[in-house]
Amino acid sequence: MTAPLLEVDNLQTHFETLAGVVKAVDGVSFTVARGEVLGLVGESGSGKSITGFSLLGLLDAPGRVVGGAVRFNGEDLLALDAKRQRQIRGNRIAMIFQDPMMTLNPVLSIGTQMVETVRAHDTVSRAEARRRSRDALGKVGIPSPEERLDAYPHEFSGGMRQRVAIAIALLHGPDLIIADEPTTALDVTIQSQILAQVQQLCSELGMGLIWISHDLGVVAGLAHKVAVMYAGRIVEQGTVVDVLDRSRHPYTRGLIASTPMANQRGVPLHQIPGSAPSPLDRPEGCSFHPRCSRASDACVKVPEISRTRNHEWRCFHPLGADI
Amino acid sequence: MTTSRTPLAQAVNISKRFQKKTDFAERAAIALGAMRKPPVVHALDDVSLDIRQGEVVGLVGESGCGKSTLGRIMAGMLAPTEGIVLRDGADVAGLKGRKARAMRLRTQIIFQDPMSSLNPRRRVGDIIGEAPRFHGLVDKAGQEKLVAELLETVGLQPEMAQRFPHQFSGGQRQRIGIARALAVKPDFLVCDESIAALDVSIQAQIINLFMELRERLGLTLLFISHDLSVVQHISDRVVIMYLGRVVETAPVDRIFEAPNHPYTQALLDEIPRIDRRNRSFATIRGEIPSPVNPPKGCHFHPRCLHAFDRCRTERPQLKRLQAGHESACHLNDLPPSQQPLKWEENNEML
Repeated sequence: MTAPLLEVDNLQTHFETLAGVVKAVDGVSFTVARGEVLGLVGESGSGKSITGFSLLGLLDAPGRVVGGAVRFNGEDLLALDAKRQRQIRGNRIAMIFQDPMMTLNPVLSIGTQMVETVRAHDTVSRAEARRRSRDALGKVGIPSPEERLDAYPHEFSGGMRQRVAIAIALLHGPDLIIADEPTTALDVTIQSQILAQVQQLCSELGMGLIWISHDLGVVAGLAHKVAVMYAGRIVEQGTVVDVLDRSRHPYTRGLIASTPMANQRGVPLHQIPGSAPSPLDRPEGCSFHPRCSRASDACVKVPEISRTRNHEWRCFHPLGADI
Repeated sequence: MTTSRTPLAQAVNISKRFQKKTDFAERAAIALGAMRKPPVVHALDDVSLDIRQGEVVGLVGESGCGKSTLGRIMAGMLAPTEGIVLRDGADVAGLKGRKARAMRLRTQIIFQDPMSSLNPRRRVGDIIGEAPRFHGLVDKAGQEKLVAELLETVGLQPEMAQRFPHQFSGGQRQRIGIARALAVKPDFLVCDESIAALDVSIQAQIINLFMELRERLGLTLLFISHDLSVVQHISDRVVIMYLGRVVETAPVDRIFEAPNHPYTQALLDEIPRIDRRNRSFATIRGEIPSPVNPPKGCHFHPRCLHAFDRCRTERPQLKRLQAGHESACHLNDLPPSQQPLKWEENNEML
């Protein structure tokens, strides 16, 4: 295998608040290769979105990356000056957010916003920028793209708005797209259309994709690799088959078991007791141990990463590979 | 559980249309032709639904299909434009005074977002205890005891009655919402996307709570959701809606084994599942049309693979396919040789 497109090594993002330091991302490492889809899964507050924001330097104060390295095409993203960072952001790495109504400017037409995006990185004429924008809209399946360029965000449906956001992300043919829950707000049939589009574009254009989601079902269908986050750490990652079918971490297993799919109809669902810890007051050691049925005295220390070739996990008492 | 012949709750030929109210100046402008009439949103179009005692009915559909509107009409929060709501065979709109109030208490609703449906400035004990106190079900001394009991019923500690909503997590807040609904001893609960905003592991806890409460208190549930997998788990019967109409209804096993309506089939195909890997997301075409201007004939025809001329002009009626299974699709009237391949023949059992 060649060098990965993106290499995140021991990333640490902290929020220094009056109430204490919130370790939102606490030593996260993963890689994404060209054409590869990584599903980053976790519940709310697990730090999956903050991981995405940290890569692009989009953190709001008091959030700060305090440690680790992010190498993108061999360049350390965290060490760049603001100018170089701007050159990469939106150009080589693009981001798609959950709610396009929040990220598109409501008082500018789609065309204006897209032309602006094109010209932010390339010196081209307005006409050329508009042509590229039109092509991008066409590529994501928006009918009559020429006319739609003059429409405003509120004139699009939710699914169409998300397509516009994807089109904007694609304008510069980025090497990597970070998608933060982009289909969570959409209906099932529309979500499916967007997923189909993204899947096709990724394999066509050879982009890397980080798909941040809480929905294991979507990730199972879309991704090649999965990383499961809990309380700021990746507790398990590997190929989809390894992580979902041969889960080693009790949290991963618990998540899968608590979906209705995995249970017989009408019988009580398997449930993970308790709820996720407050980020200000995380348990010592393995953050999952107060909710874990396999926990022992050893779990008050942070478990090291154990690994096989395509699979790694952080647990002192991993489940057998046969389950 | 007793099963009487009269359904516990019935919606009969309900239609609901929303239109912006016009003021005097606007009405004058419309009369003079200077302004167009405000658009009418057809939220529900001639929908009927029977819910039997002790049953859990799953109401499924995408946004804008009218599932929440139907839920609110069943709960008495909205009045239908046409049609009637019956409880135990009696027209709810015909009741007056004390009887009407008592009837209203028997149906309670639980909302999607517990943060926006709980008053942030009141203590949990007051939020839960207010309704039974107001309706004279308990006195001041009884209120505390009732609240403590209810908190325990939904899996919280009685001491928590002194806290405010912001001091709870999402799952706990939803438990408070459930306790509030149970406080007036209803026999029918409308759950409007009650678990959609929760994390997976918390969702499982709340689903379990609903199933336990149903068993323990003999509740009847109308479970409104866009998530078919949740509905499959909890429901006895499933009703599928599309753009203001019921397109199919069947017992839960039947709908997942042999869905009849092309829309139901599409929905089932599109559920993301953990056991479906590296799939190509083959898709249903087009967007959900606007309820302001729904397509003629069958509302689904512009997106349907099998649509033919009749679908574009004539509204399909719900027809009985077998006991308990009804579907509104013209394809069922075609001779078998002309019907598209059945879903169950096309798909391996999942």
